[in-house]
Amino acid sequence: MDDASASRGESPPPPHVVGVSLCDSAPLLWRMEDLRSVRAQGLVGALLGSLPRTPRQNGRLGRPLLLLPEEERLLREGHAAGALPARRQDGGGAELVVQVEQQQVEQQQEEQQQRSYEEQSVFALEDRKSALLRAMTSSHSGSGSGSESSDEALRSRLEDLDRSFTFPRSALAVQLSTARAGLSYCPEARAFLQADWPIREQNGRGCDARYQVFRDLRGRGFYLTSAGKFGGDFLVYPGDPLRFHAHFIAVCSSLDESVCLLDVLSVARLGSNVKKTVLLCSPGTDGRILYTSLQWSGMV
Amino acid sequence: MADHNKTDTEGKFFSEVLSPSELFAARSRSHKIPVRGQKDFFPNDSDEQRQRLEQSLNEHWSLISEERVERLGNLVKATWLPSEQIVELQSPAGKFWQTMGFSANGKQHLLPEEALYLMECGNLQVFYQNLPLSIQDGYEKFLSSSTVSLQQYQVFGHLKRLGYVVHRFDPSSEPSSYTRQLNLPQSRDRAGKQLKRKRSASPTPTATSSHTEVQERPTADRMEEDECGHECEEDKKPPESPLTASAGTAAAASSDEGRGRTWWMTDDLGERSDHQPASGYSRWHFKSIPFPDLGSRGSSSSCLYPPDPSLLPGSVAVGVCDIAPWRRRINLREVKMSSKDQKREEDKRRRRWDINRDREVRRCRNWAEYQELLARREGRRKGRPAHLWNREVTPLHDPRQPIPTEELLDKMSVIKSTHLLEGASSIKGSDEWRICFNVYQPDTVADFKKSNPGKPYSRMCVCSFDGPVPDLRAIKLLAFQGGDVPVVFAVVDHGDISFYTFKDFHLPTDVFP
Repeated sequence: MDDASASRGESPPPPHVVGVSLCDSAPLLWRMEDLRSVRAQGLVGALLGSLPRTPRQNGRLGRPLLLLPEEERLLREGHAAGALPARRQDGGGAELVVQVEQQQVEQQQEEQQQRSYEEQSVFALEDRKSALLRAMTSSHSGSGSGSESSDEALRSRLEDLDRSFTFPRSALAVQLSTARAGLSYCPEARAFLQADWPIREQNGRGCDARYQVFRDLRGRGFYLTSAGKFGGDFLVYPGDPLRFHAHFIAVCSSLDESVCLLDVLSVARLGSNVKKTVLLCSPGTDGRILYTSLQWSGMV
Repeated sequence: MADHNKTDTEGKFFSEVLSPSELFAARSRSHKIPVRGQKDFFPNDSDEQRQRLEQSLNEHWSLISEERVERLGNLVKATWLPSEQIVELQSPAGKFWQTMGFSANGKQHLLPEEALYLMECGNLQVFYQNLPLSIQDGYEKFLSSSTVSLQQYQVFGHLKRLGYVVHRFDPSSEPSSYTRQLNLPQSRDRAGKQLKRKRSASPTPTATSSHTEVQERPTADRMEEDECGHECEEDKKPPESPLTASAGTAAAASSDEGRGRTWWMTDDLGERSDHQPASGYSRWHFKSIPFPDLGSRGSSSSCLYPPDPSLLPGSVAVGVCDIAPWRRRINLREVKMSSKDQKREEDKRRRRWDINRDREVRRCRNWAEYQELLARREGRRKGRPAHLWNREVTPLHDPRQPIPTEELLDKMSVIKSTHLLEGASSIKGSDEWRICFNVYQPDTVADFKKSNPGKPYSRMCVCSFDGPVPDLRAIKLLAFQGGDVPVVFAVVDHGDISFYTFKDFHLPTDVFP
């Protein structure tokens, strides 16, 4: 698609910018298109919320998607992420303009719900009618004769239904939105919000090493997730984690940092227990990343 | 299912709003989650893999993008009060009221994390300024450092989804160690009845007696033993005096219950020892268990007093045992050697030993060296060889000093073991480590009472792999705050939660002093 537009002499469309919302200083993604776009760029993230279909289980979780700090930084550096504006009308300073807007929005909401109620009543009535039809025709399917009388009965039943059917308000189906409906940003807003990006705590060099390794591995096509449980920094997948097992546990450190032998032993032991190769990764001096894999071999 | 409008570059409204027909159709949604298939090992560029990946992804997106749709009648309405950071219910609470929420000012309220969880379950609709809040709004408004952080909410949600009852931990409302020690009856009736039964029990001749009871026992003993005659008095004196001496300590011991029953009547010495470990296993103090000595020539007793009748089975009654006939059967005569035999023994000893045969003596070239040799041997014999004791570093213990094995092991130990609660009361609190939640088990939900939840199953402390590992000080502090309920560390790692707990373990020492 990009090539086609380039050949037509147009500039390629800007990459989709995802809207990141900060919750307790953690970067979260809420909107479906943001999640899809981020996955398409090879960033996995972690789902935190309950799954709407079956909320009371921990096997599969739903939105929001939490981004790793490295993922967020990668998006930001690629100009593919911007902070979502916070919800308006946040307490204090109720100006007249805001109040009028507020009333408008409330009114809109009410009208929308009323329309939904009316439409749903129609659906409900149709649903009942078709159910009645099915019930009556199935019961009369055996006897072929006397079709006229059965038609009569059917019509009268349907008319009764039309007259007496009520759709109670309590049966109205209502949506509990996951993501907040609101304005998406335009390019100017994007630039403005990026400058405003709050600087969160960084560990300095350790953090930088992690980011370099992350960027390099992602550039080679690997998918990376967090590996705290495995005693490492990242779990490295050869493809999408939905379909493949992780091959490596990446442990990042800077070149001049000395590593205690006991730490190397423990991480190698852990790796052999979970059947994954341990990768010691360090950003080198020439911009390349140096990788060392650990393999447990016996005494030969 | 979600019908979303693409964003224009102009900046239009973004929404994932369902149309009324979609809302209506939602009632016939499946409630099952598709099972995840087996994963592949290595990506090859095969069509099959690509297809399966596409299928997995589509499944994934369809599950994630599904919106929550509920009947209006099933939803409880509530409002968010930012000034108080709680949620006030506007319609009556549902089944969740049994384990969540609280009443205040005549209205029902929910804590922000409880409200957010119920929103995610689709049971609650929270309004703010007359407009419903989305889940995103809930996360952004309800979770903060003043209420519950995102990581703590992750743990909260994880446990609630498994069915546990989770409440916030409030250190001020926990009973102090003193009240726990008093073992006051809780408001439940069962505990009250138990206590009454204990108080009305008749005093048994064990160590759990009160001060007055200890005084009674010696008199009872004395009455029993009076039958056996005057010679027994001597034997009984040593057992009795420690008994009266420990009467003072028995008052201290009365607060402890369930000390091991002892075999002989002199057992209070057990309380005197200071190294009674907190775990309370009984130890035998052999100094206080007198084994009758029938063999030594010096003892003049001629009878054994009967054992404690409570130790005898059934209705067996044992009287005093006359040991005179037994002693007659033991040959207590001293071996007498004739003068000739004695002389022979002495000669053997003397003549066998020719000092010139000793190789070490022959190595000595002069008297000075010989005297050094003698000094060395003297030192070794006496237990203090010069080369060990005349330097800066001396042995840890002088073998000439008697020492019980246990104390010796203690002296040798490099690391002193400690219990979780040892010295924990003097540790000052810190902001970094604190208990967040009390967790109660799911099967107690049926008769769970919010006003009196009882003892929790465990206490949660939430931390993350990015943060520091708790050191011994932090673990002790939290164990002390937690009281007798184990503290579990919930370590959050980007969506994954691992639970760790530390337990006391006492290395067994089968050592008798």
